[in-house]
Amino acid sequence: MPEFGLIIVLVIALALIFDFTNGFHDTANAMATPIATGAMKPRVAVGVAAILNLVGAFLSTEVARTVSGGIIKEGDGGILITPELIFAGLIGAIVWNLVTWLVGLPSSSSHALFGGLIGATVIGVGTQAVDYNVVAAKVILPALIAPLIAGIVALVATRLAYLITRRDVGKPDGRGGFRYAQIFSSSLVALAHGTNDAQKTMGVITLTLIAGGFQAVGSGPTFWVIAACALAIAIGTYTGGWRIIRTMGTGLTEIKPAQGFAAETSTAATILASSHLGFALSTTQVASGSVIGSGLGRRGSTIRWGMAGRIALGWVMTLPASAIMGAFAAGLALLGPVGIVLDMVIGTIVIMALFRWSRRNRVTHHTLLNDIDDAGRVVNIQKTPRRPSRPSRKRVSL
Amino acid sequence: MIDWRAFVIVSVASLFSSALLVSLYSLGLRLLTTAGRIPLVDPLEFTGAITVLTPKKAAKQLKRARKAAAANPLTPGVKRLALCAGYACFVLCGIAVLYGIYLIVPALHR
Repeated sequence: MPEFGLIIVLVIALALIFDFTNGFHDTANAMATPIATGAMKPRVAVGVAAILNLVGAFLSTEVARTVSGGIIKEGDGGILITPELIFAGLIGAIVWNLVTWLVGLPSSSSHALFGGLIGATVIGVGTQAVDYNVVAAKVILPALIAPLIAGIVALVATRLAYLITRRDVGKPDGRGGFRYAQIFSSSLVALAHGTNDAQKTMGVITLTLIAGGFQAVGSGPTFWVIAACALAIAIGTYTGGWRIIRTMGTGLTEIKPAQGFAAETSTAATILASSHLGFALSTTQVASGSVIGSGLGRRGSTIRWGMAGRIALGWVMTLPASAIMGAFAAGLALLGPVGIVLDMVIGTIVIMALFRWSRRNRVTHHTLLNDIDDAGRVVNIQKTPRRPSRPSRKRVSL
Repeated sequence: MIDWRAFVIVSVASLFSSALLVSLYSLGLRLLTTAGRIPLVDPLEFTGAITVLTPKKAAKQLKRARKAAAANPLTPGVKRLALCAGYACFVLCGIAVLYGIYLIVPALHR
């Protein structure tokens, strides 16, 4: 029986921290729109998002199995990865996540996680240890296809919503009623987030336990792992909410209730269907795809290609960049305990430095906004002649 | 061995479910409006976010809605029917969501 080493405890702690930051970062995806359109009060919205993330994490384990049982190949002596390498991969992922968050480059915490793990494995074991078929089928292709699907679905849904509620000019169309619908659609997004993102951490912890010899190769996450990850993401979501509420007054993409409802429904449907099939995708990217699609579903909309290109660049860069970070951390970790400590020290220094830097430039434009906001600005919507004046926005300083 | 079928399933499933949900809800709103019950969201109290409607604007909309309701040429019976159908749409929408969740939770099938 292998002993429950310090390194395994470290990895689990780090994975849970990663889970927490994921929830922290992604509350906005689900709840920014209903808060902005006034559908929900911030306090309620954030609480609901946290609870639904918790529930969502318990719903399925397909994605966790993709992470723990698919990406890294099995060898003669069990799985071809050690807890030390997973630790290095996590450090790489967290550092890259923080860097992109502060620079305002849209990235995906999920891809950072996979990139880090793959990079660490390639350095630590060799290129043959990674199952590229699974990586392509369940990570890379879904990353490319899912936002596209979500965008098309959102476009169709938005068209439908406007078509069905269309009435003669001057007559009330009742579209304000979509604001109530957003309460449900955004809750579904929060649920979907729990089913996909919390499971990635479950997968990593399970992978660690398998690598350490505590669990059989190919087995799924145990109950305590599911519960711990669900809690971590829920607490992260709740904590992250307050940051978003505070930044909300700085401006938000103009999203009408009907459009927001259509976008959120598409996001939730796409993520839930993907989670069911074990695709580990980035919820942020799917949500961005939906927002862009629903914007294009409105009349007189055009794409701002520069903005779209910047987002795409961030998406493409994440996997290789975090792989390099993971590989670097793994190189250090291979030196033995000294390397692990060095990894931790470097990780902590980077995090502290970034934190201090972020405090200095606290009110910059990018750190305040979320990725979905960027996506919303990709679509330029001309003002229709029917509504010559835009609704006045009140700037709020808290 | 890329399972392309899975991508087809995801596309079809999300397209179908989103279109269904959005259509049902929109139809519900449409019927409510037809019945003279225009859903109006009152100016919300300070949410810490963006003010949605100014009181003046809301009053204007309310007036417009009342006028439209008064000028409705439909008979009370038809109106009631439209109202019921509208609520039925919302209920169907809710059922569709619950069924969708039921479908993806493996624990409920065993």
